[in-house]
Amino acid sequence: MAYSGPSVFGAFDMVVWQLLALAVAAMALPVAVPWLGFVITVAIGKGLAALGVAMLLRGGLISIGHALYVAVGAYATAFLMLSVGMNELFLLLVCTTAITMASGLVIGAFMARYRAIFFAMLNLAISMVFFTLLSKLYNLTGGSDGMRVATPTVLGVTLDRTKFDLVLQFSAVALMVVVALLIDRYLKSPLGEALTAIHANEVRLEYLGVSARGVILAVYTISAALAGLGGAITAVAIGHVVPELSYWTASGQLVLIAVLGGISGVPGAFIGAFFFELVRTFAADFVPDAWNAIVGVALLIVIFFLPQGLYGLLQRVKMRKARL
Amino acid sequence: MKCLSSIIAALLLAVIGAPATAQTSKPAEVDLGIFTFTSGPGAAYGVPGRNAADVVIGQINASGGIGGVPVKPIYVDEGQGTNAVVAEFRKLASDSNNQAMIAALSSANCLALAPVAEQLQMPTFMWNCDTHQLFLKDKYKYVYRTNSSTVPEFVADALYLLAVKPNVKTVAIIDPDYAFGRDAGLIFKQTLKALKPDIEVVAELYPKLGSPSFNTEISRLVAAKPDVIFSNFWGADLENFARQAAPRELFTSSQVILALGESVLQSVGNLLPDGVIIGVIGDGWWKSSTAQANPQTKAFIEDYRKRFNEYPVFPSFKMANTIYAVKAVYDKALATNKGRWPTRDELVAAAKGIKVDTLTGTLALREDNDGLVDQIVGVTEKSSSYPFPIMGNMVRYPANLVTPPVGTDPIAWISKLTPTMLANAPKPGSYK
Repeated sequence: MAYSGPSVFGAFDMVVWQLLALAVAAMALPVAVPWLGFVITVAIGKGLAALGVAMLLRGGLISIGHALYVAVGAYATAFLMLSVGMNELFLLLVCTTAITMASGLVIGAFMARYRAIFFAMLNLAISMVFFTLLSKLYNLTGGSDGMRVATPTVLGVTLDRTKFDLVLQFSAVALMVVVALLIDRYLKSPLGEALTAIHANEVRLEYLGVSARGVILAVYTISAALAGLGGAITAVAIGHVVPELSYWTASGQLVLIAVLGGISGVPGAFIGAFFFELVRTFAADFVPDAWNAIVGVALLIVIFFLPQGLYGLLQRVKMRKARL
Repeated sequence: MKCLSSIIAALLLAVIGAPATAQTSKPAEVDLGIFTFTSGPGAAYGVPGRNAADVVIGQINASGGIGGVPVKPIYVDEGQGTNAVVAEFRKLASDSNNQAMIAALSSANCLALAPVAEQLQMPTFMWNCDTHQLFLKDKYKYVYRTNSSTVPEFVADALYLLAVKPNVKTVAIIDPDYAFGRDAGLIFKQTLKALKPDIEVVAELYPKLGSPSFNTEISRLVAAKPDVIFSNFWGADLENFARQAAPRELFTSSQVILALGESVLQSVGNLLPDGVIIGVIGDGWWKSSTAQANPQTKAFIEDYRKRFNEYPVFPSFKMANTIYAVKAVYDKALATNKGRWPTRDELVAAAKGIKVDTLTGTLALREDNDGLVDQIVGVTEKSSSYPFPIMGNMVRYPANLVTPPVGTDPIAWISKLTPTMLANAPKPGSYK
């Protein structure tokens, strides 16, 4: 079959357009329905973490413990504000991302040795250890009651909460676009392409002179940083952090969102996150006693009929158009 | 893609309807957001709460609703997690017919929702969260607790214990391992230390919340042979613990205090011998003389029993009393406004310092927005009229006696308690 898809530059443009469309939707929805602003902000936080998980999935690595980095990010934000007195939104986001990145680098150094089920379980184990610590160190972390996250200033300006929420929502949307484009470039760079090669044939990759462990360490560190950034956004959006952020079901949700959205393109994680959060919100609205079932059925439908995820559906439509 | 997003936006708009506008005239219905657990372990208390809400709102609507307007509850499942609970709260706050919120059961959710309620200027009545942290550091205008906190609830147990067993020497504590359990352990221990300094705590066990088996802990308790075992287990944990501890005769070898025991009397009460100290954490005991003297309460109990085939438990009364408190706040605001429908700010103003006659006693909202509720403690007692034990040898501690005054640090207040408190407290058996 002759290659009739978009060129590399065309593909890049496509991702830009898709992300911009997502951004427009993320800004437009809350204009129509104000309370959705919060849902969108939290969804972007989840989307960032799911993007990290999706990157690992490209390399054939399933992490069912990535909520660990969301929690590290969220609690880092809480502690930076409480103990260090850091009170500036953007500084908080940068520092938190750096802290989670560092923790990802350290833990990743061990993780890079493992594959398949061992990788998945080890991640799960570490995230549950962190969950237990957060719950047990009552005097430090507030235990299961969690910790308060105050409203930070924005560029030195103290905003009232409603304006702050708006700024946070816009910042989250902007971050989504910028980060997603950077990750897109990364995935299309040799270091990113090596990821797919690890999934396909790791031994051959080593023969080509590329260190598989190095590739995995890099992607793991980046994915941790993404999850941490997502955690920081979630923490300031909600204003409260709880140990459940690190619980294994939260990690499972991230994998679900990644698969739901599709891992073949960067926008997939965000499409998945928006879809998941919106379905859950409306399911809880219409059937308050059976929202779990509705979410479950929606996921089953996607998994059965759209194995490539929602993003895969988008690409399929595009391919068909190109063929016509 | 853009086309897709506009379709989604249009769909959403169609689903939700036009954005909320400010409410000034009388609405067609009073929406009432009610946050409770209907899934997960918290449902053990969340569902009795929800059931009670259904019954009470039915009764209120049958007698003309609030100011002539029927009440429509909108239930939110707290089992969705804190993220989603905050999102739902924000959504419901944009409904102009929804002037007051009843939230929440879990302390973590209450702590997360309080600043959100403040930001959205949404009158919020916290119906079940007990944490004394709620009003410790933060002052709120829009957040009230229509419920007592952990401090009066567990101080009452210690007072009762020292009244019935003044010579107690050794105590063991077994609580679930999370903030509520840890807080209860600390409060109970500190109260005993202040009132009877020579008491020794021989074991403190904090098994995981939701453990299927407590056999290891029970073995340790049997071996430690304490005079007294205190526990604030609740829900499935409490039932499990009672089932596993009863065959090993823990309830006869030690004086056991089940601080939330009233909620399981109907399910596992028959496993308990007479004389186990039972708490209600509040005054919501359906068979108390106060409850039985109130025809409204009797109607509620009868209705509840018919619909759900059981008697209401204390979480049911926490919810029922909160809804009546919200109604009282509405009524007061309507009276102040001479019938004009109140705004949210007018509702909050009406809530300040209000004193409400509830189904089981009174509820006063103090100037720091915390609730003052009496505490009933008693012991299990076999009954000839019911197929399960009821509470006997009861005492009703007045809220003012067991609640730290406004502006004091609760734990510091406990450590300053003196044995004269014990002498001044009502005696077991003084309440029927």
